[in-house]
Amino acid sequence: MKLRALLALTAIILAGCATTTRKPIVYYYGNYEQAYYHNKKDNTPASAEKYRKALEDVIQTSEKKGLRVPPGIYCEYGYLLSRQGSADADRYFNLEVATYPESEHFVAFLKTQIKQN
Amino acid sequence: MRTRRLIIAGLLVSVMLTAGCATRPTFTTKAEKFPLMYAERPMTILVLPPINSTTAADAKEYYSTTISAPLAYKGYYVLPMEVTGDILKAQGLYDTEMIGNQPLDRFGQYFGADAVLFTHIRKWDKSYLVLSATLTVSVDATLKSTKTNQVLWRYSGTIVANLSGNNSGGGLAGLVAQVVVTAVNSAVADYVPYARLANTQLLYTIPVGKYHARTGLDGEDKFVDQAPNRGPAGE
Repeated sequence: MKLRALLALTAIILAGCATTTRKPIVYYYGNYEQAYYHNKKDNTPASAEKYRKALEDVIQTSEKKGLRVPPGIYCEYGYLLSRQGSADADRYFNLEVATYPESEHFVAFLKTQIKQN
Repeated sequence: MRTRRLIIAGLLVSVMLTAGCATRPTFTTKAEKFPLMYAERPMTILVLPPINSTTAADAKEYYSTTISAPLAYKGYYVLPMEVTGDILKAQGLYDTEMIGNQPLDRFGQYFGADAVLFTHIRKWDKSYLVLSATLTVSVDATLKSTKTNQVLWRYSGTIVANLSGNNSGGGLAGLVAQVVVTAVNSAVADYVPYARLANTQLLYTIPVGKYHARTGLDGEDKFVDQAPNRGPAGE
């Protein structure tokens, strides 16, 4: 009984401490940040492959979990594909715009830049 | 007897908890400190390549891989730096320093960015003091509007981490072991995890953006108006 009262007291005090309830954004980044950094650092075919796989994993896992793919990831993956000459690039650029309408302007600009090169 | 002990324990716990709550003197609110963030409500952020004033040449590239995700978690649409960096280079902009005080409207025009984030790496080093080694990462950031060129938000984050192992042994053997541990730890110590900690501190005060559940509701959030010097890793 006493213990329960003590627990209740503690809970009340703790609740007083907490600022406001937070609903954090849920993004799935998987191993992306790590792989991106190691690709900058090592810059080997193996690190590049890990970076590509990490981007794929972010997209696939987010979609599987019903999460919004983090900002820029579709675009970054599309850009990687475009540099490899893959025809799939546009599909990912369009997914970026569909997910984040505010990216429309940038993605359009990026496409003109890619055509120029 | 048992009851009294419980009461005393309860009181002690309460005191400890309230001590944790205790307010420190110079508090400010986000809205008070960064009113333009609430007036402009930027959504899309272009993070420029970091300005590096340290002697570590690789800091710029490494740090740039750490900032986008935490900023996205703050509710912003962050343009992918891997892509924007290449475009900036193709446009002849290799270093953010080149921008100086030029107007930022072009970044709105071409990138669709509402605001541009300048990051400045101030410290990225290890220092050795006889038997210990510390690693310091310190970054300032300034968010500027592409519409008005005004500073919307500015803050800094610093992490000082002790790389020495815990000094457990006494005597000469202990000293030797300590030296070895310090040398090994600092040789392999990676800056990037500490840069991530510095970012947590750096972004602590930024008013949250559109994708955050509390967007527009955090104006009264209080914080101590100074970047603390030591983070969790730096005792």
